[in-house]
Amino acid sequence: MFKTSQSYPILFLLILLISGCKEKSASTDPKMEEMKLTQKALEIHKRVLTLDTHSDTPLRMIEPGFDMAERHDPRETGSKVDYPRMIEGDLDAIFFAAFVSQDIRDDDGNTRAKDLCLQMIDSIVASTQKNSNIVGLALNPEDAYTMEKAGKRAIYIGIENGYPIGEDLSNVELYFDRGVRYITLVHSANNDLADSATDPNGPEHGGISAFGSAVVQEMNRLGIMVDVSHGNDSVFYDAISMSKAPIIASHSNARSITDHQRNMTDEMLGLMAKNGGVVQLTMLANYLREAPPNKKLDSALATLRGNMKPIEDMTLEERNAMRRSTQELNERYPDPPATVKHVADHIDHIVKVAGIDHVGIGCDFDGGGGIEGVFDVSEVMNITIELVRRGYTEEEIRKIWGGNLIRVFKEVQAVAKRIQSEEKS
Amino acid sequence: MLKWLCVVFTLGLSTSIVDHPLRLSLCEIEYTSNKQILSINLKLFLTDVNEAIVFDPYSKELAFCQPNESAQANKMLMDYVNRFFYVKANRKKVDLKIKSKRLSGEGENTALWVYFEHQQPLPLTSLEIKNAVFTDLFFDQNNIVYVHVNGKSKSLMLNKKTSVHQLKF
Repeated sequence: MFKTSQSYPILFLLILLISGCKEKSASTDPKMEEMKLTQKALEIHKRVLTLDTHSDTPLRMIEPGFDMAERHDPRETGSKVDYPRMIEGDLDAIFFAAFVSQDIRDDDGNTRAKDLCLQMIDSIVASTQKNSNIVGLALNPEDAYTMEKAGKRAIYIGIENGYPIGEDLSNVELYFDRGVRYITLVHSANNDLADSATDPNGPEHGGISAFGSAVVQEMNRLGIMVDVSHGNDSVFYDAISMSKAPIIASHSNARSITDHQRNMTDEMLGLMAKNGGVVQLTMLANYLREAPPNKKLDSALATLRGNMKPIEDMTLEERNAMRRSTQELNERYPDPPATVKHVADHIDHIVKVAGIDHVGIGCDFDGGGGIEGVFDVSEVMNITIELVRRGYTEEEIRKIWGGNLIRVFKEVQAVAKRIQSEEKS
Repeated sequence: MLKWLCVVFTLGLSTSIVDHPLRLSLCEIEYTSNKQILSINLKLFLTDVNEAIVFDPYSKELAFCQPNESAQANKMLMDYVNRFFYVKANRKKVDLKIKSKRLSGEGENTALWVYFEHQQPLPLTSLEIKNAVFTDLFFDQNNIVYVHVNGKSKSLMLNKKTSVHQLKF
């Protein structure tokens, strides 16, 4: 897999080599062919606008001392996004999602959720101001292109979970004014707006609630994209029928490829195409593939546990030794990983069902996203390499990597303008 | 009295060890001067608790919150929690005693909630929180802390690198 930070000097030499050897054996040497393909893909990756619609990096921003301008080692800290690695991966634009965990649904809970959400949004804005030489706060679709030309990364803001809206519709405009351009209606548990795909208590509203419907209308009026990721299937169908503008799924995959309730059925993908919306592929391993059983690891762990002293008799040293042994086995027998090939399988399927105009990328870095080959933001070019390998053209890749989302974003703003104009007249 | 949270707090995430999911726990700390009670609520994935204490994420040995809960369950839980978590109110460490526990969610997403209360008659001027739970298991463990003091809320993320933070009021 390609890694930018380690590979630029090697790539330069390879390009020289390729140029010197052309017409001789390049067309038949698989390694040379792979290098040419990689070179072509990297050039495309550089030329097209690359936009990721979902990152939970604001959670990192509330870590005391965390600096977005510093490069972090993802395998040491778990951090998947910072500005140096955005540059390495040549990711031009990103939506940072302000996330607030679903809590009690009363006045106290709603007030707290709003405070926490505003704190997250403030953290994002402060980060863009502090690093204004390399990034900028983006509010409109064209800002991504303007900033790309200026050599800056565009930072957009989303909200993951409509919970901080509480029961007060005016909060939608408050968040819009703070820069929010999409809202994920619901998260892992039902809220006052909509039902979650994963609430253990099942559906509560039968999709989007009456208040949720009013929120969708207000989002349409203001020009905020309606995001149905995390909602159950009824939320999707309700959003399609309620929204006057195209909708998005900021981080969801295809259910036909991986049977997970967070992924979208072929029928939903087809409707998304009719709606003019877009499904943004996510790098969450369990949404990309079903992990096969790991019998070697299970067996080795069972043997280790079978030889263990009773826990209550173990000293701290013995417990620490047992922890080390467990970790060694996990490292020796890792599960087969999700890879960029799984990502491309989902993209292929969505293109087949919904068409090339309705798929994009929303990695969910810092929210669990990250797979072999696209472990953090510095490695996103590997998606482009796999797409080129599968025969996607530059124009198609341009659509996948940001063109489709920007089209929807523009349409959402055009609808808002129309609604506001009708209100005035 | 702190109201129970009602969530499965996965972000988009799964909980399998090898898929590099986001490892999360949630802690909520609340104080209001008129009640003079500092309440602390820890929400931990049950699989992580079992892995941390008995080296088996799916162990039924401790059977938290079940009729057959082990007599050792609370002690073993607190032996672990006290190694990786503390709260200091006005620079004095709070003696954590479990007031109640409960389970929520299902399957991989089952969460164990552990609730503590502490009498805090003097005005709260500072809180120091350490939350490094499960950082011994996972290098990328993240622990969200929500603090609500006299109507003002703040969120923090603590982890292996930054496990302690102090707030002043």
